[in-house]
Amino acid sequence: MSGVRLEVQWSPVHPDKFITWGTDINLYEVKSLKDAPQSSIKISETSAAHLLASNSNHPYVKCVDIYPHNDTDVLLAIGQTNGKVVLTTFGPTVFDCLGLSGKELVPRQLRQCNTVAWNPTEPNLVAAGLEKHRTDHSVLLWDLQRCPHSNGHPPHHHVPSSTMEPARPSGELGLSETAHSLAWLRGQPRCLMVGLNNKHLKLYDFREPGRAVSSTPTKAVYGLAVDPQADHRLTSFVENQIYVWDTRNFEKPVLFLSQNKPVSKVSWCPTRSNLLGVLQRDSSSIGLYDIQPTMVGNDEVEPSFLERAILPGVTGMAGGVPASAVGAITSFSWHPSHENRLLNINLSGHLIDYTVFERITLNWSPSSHIVWTHGWRTLKTVCDKDPIYSSIDSEAILIKKRAMSGYGLRPNLCDNGDLAESKDLKRLWRWLHLSSSLVEEGLVQNSGTGHPGVRSVLKKPEGSQLLGGEPSSSHGQWSEMNACQISAKPYRSDEREQALQLCGWHLDREGFLDQLESDGYYSRAAAIAVFNLRLRQAVDILRRGAEHPRATAPVNLNIVAVALSGFSDDKSSMWRQQCISAKQYLSDPYLRVMFSFLTSESESYEEVLEEKDVAVEDRVAFACCFLSDIKLFEYLRNLTAKLTEEGDLGGMLLTGATPECIPLLQRFLDRSGDIQSVSFIAARVFSPALLKEDTVQEWISNYRNLLDSWKLWTQRAHFDIALSSRTESEKPAQQVFVSCNFCGKSISAFMQGRGRGLFARAPNKSKVCKITSCPNCRKPLPRCSICLLNMGSASGAYSVKAGSTTNRTIDSGLNSEKLAEFANWFTWCQSCRHGGHAAHIMQWFSEHLECPVTSCTCRCMSLDFAAKVISVPAL
Amino acid sequence: MFEAHSINAEHKDLIHDVAYDYYGQRMATCSSDQSVKVWDQDDQKNWNLSANWKAHSGSVWKVTWAHPEFGQVLATCSFDRTAAIWEEIIGETPPQGERSLKTWIRRTNLVDSRTSVTDVKFGPKSLGLQLATCSTDGVVRIYEAPDVMNLSQWTLQYEINCKLPCSCLTWNHSFSRLHPPMIAVGSDDPSPSNGSKVAIYEYSENSRRWAKTESLASIGVTEPVHDIAFAPNLGRSYHLLAIATKDVRIVTLGPPTEGSSQRFDVQLTAQPEDNLSGTVWRVSWNILGTILASSGDDGCVRLWKANYMNSWKCISILRGDGTQAKSDTSVTNMPTMGQIAAPNQSSTTRYYKLGSITNPNQVQKGLAPIPISKWQPIGRFQRMTWIGSDFTSYGSPPPLEKSAKALCGKT
Repeated sequence: MSGVRLEVQWSPVHPDKFITWGTDINLYEVKSLKDAPQSSIKISETSAAHLLASNSNHPYVKCVDIYPHNDTDVLLAIGQTNGKVVLTTFGPTVFDCLGLSGKELVPRQLRQCNTVAWNPTEPNLVAAGLEKHRTDHSVLLWDLQRCPHSNGHPPHHHVPSSTMEPARPSGELGLSETAHSLAWLRGQPRCLMVGLNNKHLKLYDFREPGRAVSSTPTKAVYGLAVDPQADHRLTSFVENQIYVWDTRNFEKPVLFLSQNKPVSKVSWCPTRSNLLGVLQRDSSSIGLYDIQPTMVGNDEVEPSFLERAILPGVTGMAGGVPASAVGAITSFSWHPSHENRLLNINLSGHLIDYTVFERITLNWSPSSHIVWTHGWRTLKTVCDKDPIYSSIDSEAILIKKRAMSGYGLRPNLCDNGDLAESKDLKRLWRWLHLSSSLVEEGLVQNSGTGHPGVRSVLKKPEGSQLLGGEPSSSHGQWSEMNACQISAKPYRSDEREQALQLCGWHLDREGFLDQLESDGYYSRAAAIAVFNLRLRQAVDILRRGAEHPRATAPVNLNIVAVALSGFSDDKSSMWRQQCISAKQYLSDPYLRVMFSFLTSESESYEEVLEEKDVAVEDRVAFACCFLSDIKLFEYLRNLTAKLTEEGDLGGMLLTGATPECIPLLQRFLDRSGDIQSVSFIAARVFSPALLKEDTVQEWISNYRNLLDSWKLWTQRAHFDIALSSRTESEKPAQQVFVSCNFCGKSISAFMQGRGRGLFARAPNKSKVCKITSCPNCRKPLPRCSICLLNMGSASGAYSVKAGSTTNRTIDSGLNSEKLAEFANWFTWCQSCRHGGHAAHIMQWFSEHLECPVTSCTCRCMSLDFAAKVISVPAL
Repeated sequence: MFEAHSINAEHKDLIHDVAYDYYGQRMATCSSDQSVKVWDQDDQKNWNLSANWKAHSGSVWKVTWAHPEFGQVLATCSFDRTAAIWEEIIGETPPQGERSLKTWIRRTNLVDSRTSVTDVKFGPKSLGLQLATCSTDGVVRIYEAPDVMNLSQWTLQYEINCKLPCSCLTWNHSFSRLHPPMIAVGSDDPSPSNGSKVAIYEYSENSRRWAKTESLASIGVTEPVHDIAFAPNLGRSYHLLAIATKDVRIVTLGPPTEGSSQRFDVQLTAQPEDNLSGTVWRVSWNILGTILASSGDDGCVRLWKANYMNSWKCISILRGDGTQAKSDTSVTNMPTMGQIAAPNQSSTTRYYKLGSITNPNQVQKGLAPIPISKWQPIGRFQRMTWIGSDFTSYGSPPPLEKSAKALCGKT
């Protein structure tokens, strides 16, 4: 360590000034970065320190304390190695006229001054702690009012300080002892805590200086610091041990903190209670201890603390740390009034102004709020209305938006894709639509699922032999050009035909390629035409694509068309060689595979089949055309495994809505978190047996829970309806019954079955069923507590004409037939059991808090918090 | 520029926890000032203080909501060595016509711990009303309310000794019947030599006890752990566990690979190389379990998201004061789910679109709330109940109020 230890100290009275000292004493002023003059040093992201003055007159500085009672100028008490305490200032100040500046307070015997401290409440007192001397005291109290010429004398009495007699200390303590550190108590202005002789901490009262008020034996006599928030709490250290003391119970330390390295400074945070800053020697971090009070109620509990280490200059300094900032911190100082702000200095003299952030607690709500704490008092929130949120959590917003728009519920499967806002999902829904319509038309065999995949279509019932084993009789004749022949042999069979249908290759249907063309997929249409050996058509398609103004293909389709029309099946032709070498420059994957196919040597067509950018359905369709059975099955098996691994929804084409697709969808879910799509795919296309799978049930319950916590109950009900329509055979049994007060039998069964059974023969003039008594025991039902009519009667909400309740006029006749009018429904409080017609009760509670029944003080409506949770209305 | 909304919490000391209820429309805060505050969101999305009470005689560390099916119930834990269950009740005498502050009463005080109770969490709803606490003496306690209608009766079902002082715990809220009840516990023991500071306990139906099934020794979290959180499972085939220690760690617990004797296939998927944030204090997941928010020593909130390669990146940094939000340059390159699903879509369009989504509730302004919403099956009343009151109370008809008379003048 270099001989000079750099120290730093905020002024206790100037919020923007601090001093540093090593060999010189420097006074700095802190300014915001904008206002700071050029020469200032940047000490944080926003502030800079401007050197105001420097004082190099005092070479033997051991310790410094700033006068805490004057906020215009800075007066320092400097304890020197020769034992003198010198009062000094930076330049001329008001202290000059008081004769304070330059005053030397000299002990009788010269020896090192260890510490100096101004009294925080009485402005005229300064205490100095010195090394041991056999015949002298080690703690000296100087009363500046007793010093000559300083007792408020007018300026003209001022005598140059150099000629002054050394004053005598007004108090002396600790004869032939060593004072290592001392600290004033704020609450008791004459009380001084002193660490003595490596042995004791003693509390002295200068009003009674003879003996210590209290003391404790300990080796920890260094760095005494009194908690500014609580006078009875103080801390001291020795070597690597820190002790926290409570003077009310001084015998034993409250807390003992062991450090890895020797401690060089401890300091209580003046703005926050219970926070202790600790600096270890040769350390680049400052330890913070948040100490919990040891009294809980009337019990004393084990002391406890939370430990933190902060690295000023490393954390929170975005954009690189200056090299000089790295290095052991030699000292730090809490700002006296700014919350949690501290300043530290390191070996190379680099200053860092740092604010300790309080621990932030945070949470993320189901309704897309993020909240976190800022300081003690403030909560900050970001919600989904804020633009920033959409850039953070786009998934949740998208899923919620889809749920609101009825995604997954459209009767036409295809339409759901349009709401998904995702290309892959759109394609999947379209395929689901296609496969179901193919099954309906009978073009594709239905193998237990409404959405068979290519694999299940190609799979024959067990014990079958290979299918489509023979290449079709038409031996790859180019339909238009008889001159050349391609070696490719398309395979044909019923199963393969069905697979092609599933892939969407309806070449037999009119307008399939035209449709692709009009959608702008010229290259794809051309490639499919080539794969179907319609070279002329492919050339025509490319021509039209080149002419079309909208086409923005990166390659000139015209050139491609020319190249294509030059096709030759000669294995050694120049066309062939040129195509092989040029096709790698084609960026369009369909054009690439087209030429790969035409120039292919073998019958494995790997370049076509492994081209990732070509849609899965086209690759599978191609494989169905040109691969032999063994190769085809192998290819499909590998492709399924690969797509399942990737969670690629295109793989549904292969698996169909069979148990095989569950791992695929699971993988998609793992990757994307899109629980909504997998739940709806399950709900819309899975067979009842498949829906019972544990995995699928888990998706569904998760999605239900998601909708619940978003309060999208209408959407959840629609989802459940869609789900139960798949499994109509297992309609859940009625779970809620209304039972009679007297016989305990259900009366609701009769309510539902009205028009049948008991009431079938009743004149059906009124649509309203009038059971006002239990159908079993004929005892009357309870009365509505508002209108006092027996339940089962009409509430009269729609028509209050007496006697005409049976012929009520209701606007929507359709609805009234389906559902009993809501207003007539029974309702009752679950707590006090009073109730009545729903309409009456609701009206009552819109004006009242308490139950309508006399002398019942139940606050029925307020009891159920859930009643206040309003569903998010559907779009 | 972006600015976060501010709420003046008016706590007199440091706030230790903020908790949202199931719907995210109520919020509870707890603080070293020994009090708990409850905030309700009004229709304009403003947060209003609805209750404030002194809950403990020491710092209140954590606060948590029960599922609304059990009523409006909070649990708190404190330095005063207790955990408490609170229920909101309707005040006995609110001034007429005025909305009084809600009253929360202490239903029970759980005093089994001899030391500070550091965390408290309600278990998944499927287990009934269960509560887990952990304390600095290293014991995790599982309580259960056998009768969900009687919140003053809780039985201590299990005590798990974790040997290390516990600082935090989290339940796995999986819906799968395949997953047994699972808890992860973190310890803030400072000594690295004491081994892994995270442990996972599972309840075995056969042995009827909780047992440690995974200590995550392979990922080597030996620094103190300050917070821990399971992501909402959302049908994933693996569990995601976020750990706040000297940095953010995200661990996946997948089903074990075949032939392995391990309970889980443990993978560390995130550990940032540059530790700019310093010590991480809290972690919290979004509802989909796709994004993690963490808070660190540097006073910033960071948001982490996995790309399709399952590697987690910081996508955004929010300053603690909420006045500035800066995004890493990588943000623009981070694919969103939509982009993964639709790689051909340009990212700018995507962002633009999403940015234009306003709050769905706003769109609905003017529409009357549908009364049917009041009849959602989420109330706490599940018992089979008899209709009406006992017949005698109707013996003499109650006097009718004016409005009631108007409705049925006949009587």
